[in-house]
Amino acid sequence: MSAATPLLEISNLSAKVGGKNVLQGLTLSVNAGEVHAIMGPNGSGKSTLAYVLAGRPGYEITGGSVKFQGRDLLTMESEERARAGMFLGFQYPVEIPGVNNVYLLKAAVNAKRKATGLPEVDAYEFLQLVRGKMKLMQMDESFLSRGVNEGFSGGEKKRNEILQMLVLEPTLAVLDETDSGLDIDALKVVARGVNSLRSAERGVLLITHYQRLLDHIVPDQVHVLARGRIARSGDKTLALELEKRGYDWVLEVA
Amino acid sequence: MTIVLPTNRDENWRYSNLRPLAKAKREAVAPHVPAAIELPARLPDYERWVFVDGQFAAALSAPARNSCAVLLDAGDGGEEFARMLDSAIASAGVDFALARLNAAGGTQVLRIAAPDGARASLELVFVATAPAASGTSYPRVQVHAGRSSHLRLVERHVSAGDADSAINAAFDLALAADASVDHYRLQNVSDGASCFDTLTAHVGDRGAYRLRTITLGGLTSRSTLLVKLAGRAARCELTAASIANGLQTHDMFAEIEHAGADAVTRELYRGIATDRGKLGFNGKMVVRESAHGADSEQTLKSLLTGKGAEASVRPQLEIYTDRVRAQHGATTGKLDDQMLFYLLSRGIDRRTAQTLLQWAFIEDVISRVDCAELRTDIEQLVAAQLNEVSALEGLLGKP
Repeated sequence: MSAATPLLEISNLSAKVGGKNVLQGLTLSVNAGEVHAIMGPNGSGKSTLAYVLAGRPGYEITGGSVKFQGRDLLTMESEERARAGMFLGFQYPVEIPGVNNVYLLKAAVNAKRKATGLPEVDAYEFLQLVRGKMKLMQMDESFLSRGVNEGFSGGEKKRNEILQMLVLEPTLAVLDETDSGLDIDALKVVARGVNSLRSAERGVLLITHYQRLLDHIVPDQVHVLARGRIARSGDKTLALELEKRGYDWVLEVA
Repeated sequence: MTIVLPTNRDENWRYSNLRPLAKAKREAVAPHVPAAIELPARLPDYERWVFVDGQFAAALSAPARNSCAVLLDAGDGGEEFARMLDSAIASAGVDFALARLNAAGGTQVLRIAAPDGARASLELVFVATAPAASGTSYPRVQVHAGRSSHLRLVERHVSAGDADSAINAAFDLALAADASVDHYRLQNVSDGASCFDTLTAHVGDRGAYRLRTITLGGLTSRSTLLVKLAGRAARCELTAASIANGLQTHDMFAEIEHAGADAVTRELYRGIATDRGKLGFNGKMVVRESAHGADSEQTLKSLLTGKGAEASVRPQLEIYTDRVRAQHGATTGKLDDQMLFYLLSRGIDRRTAQTLLQWAFIEDVISRVDCAELRTDIEQLVAAQLNEVSALEGLLGKP
């Protein structure tokens, strides 16, 4: 991969779900080191984009291509995508009672290490690492032995997503409405987590409904998704304009 | 005396596979000196009684010096003990055919009689070695828990070798007032063996009978459980887990009868059928007219993960009084797609993710085993039955 190759290159992507065309010729590039925000009204295809990138079953690709670090993403299984450095932060993380958080974290890290020929993590060092990240996310120690998202509040689930992201250190993080359902304090914690991961090698695709998250995670580019494609792109001021004027004017222009 | 075996036409036997029992030689396996047998590690603080093909094996056993258990000839002890049990339970019809066969064919009875206020912990290991053509083994255990006594019983059924052994066990328990019994039952016989059992329990005032049963082995397995909550505020907790792989059939019929007032039942079943495995669980709850204030909960769930897997899980209620609280739920389903995708999206491979979710499904039952050493054993065996010990390593042995 040359330095000029985008981290993520989506070209003319179309996808169907439940017989409905949701993505209709979406084109978008994210370079390493960049944070892109995707905004748009309900039903514009934001979550579909996130799921298609992560390889969720039930989404039919009807056209276009997606390259991740130069590789054809759409032919990869979900688990391969994750091991290659893609991370999806779920809008609605599922609860998995009976599988505890620390187990999931360790299994996920080891799956990735195995794929790159590295030995399993040392149990002690791993726990130290996780504890450090938990502190950043203001999460209680007891959380580790609890079932994955079991009985978590909405805010705790979102923090847990970010914690997993911090531990997995993805090359590209796709965060699907990570800000929804968070109060302002929790929002700051989540933003701190995301910002701590920003680096020249990584990219972030931030899917959000509201501008307020972007006060805390300042994006390099903002895109408006409408009717399954990018209707408008701009810098962070576009988000402020949307906040003021709503989405209608973008839709009209589109 | 001819004892007629139940058939699939009998109401409570529709999902059982009784062919192996019908085909086995009906006479008891002749006493023999067993070859070297590898037994599970002993549990701390438990005395151990080992039976090989139904016969007590003194050399392998380690009874406590003042044990409340004693070995009797089948001819003795039976009648005296019968008086302690409620005769109504045992007069039931075809459901008792196997217990009657056991009584007719067995030669030894282990009788456990805990005096009032006593505490005792016993591990009973039943080892099957003989092929069905050389006879059936008839383990028989009678338990009397005196007033305010507390018994911990671990009952294991294992195989030495891979013979198609036929086992037909009978367990009778009577709990006096305020007695409590924690009964752990682990069936892990070889894949070709067949394991049948009939269990009755009679629970007196404020008595508590907790049965945790894990069924993993056997080509076919059938448990018939009949619990009578006879006393006031008697309690029964039944938690049962079963994993049927390959061509295994695991069937359980559990009838819990509320006769005394304010009796409580908590019943939890988790079954996983993979490949062409078959599961049956029939949880029948009977609430007599006298049993006002009865409180019963049943949550029965089965998970199918193979194309040819089958499960029949059904709660059954028979209620003859108005003043009762009875909740029941039964589901049969597949692995949750959303949970699966979540794990895959974290880089976990599909097979491991599926195993993890199966583990999560059954963990409810395992976590209720409060003897740590036994739970560790069970976890290893469950992981092995899920064919994925390594995937689950980080989950095992947690407090």
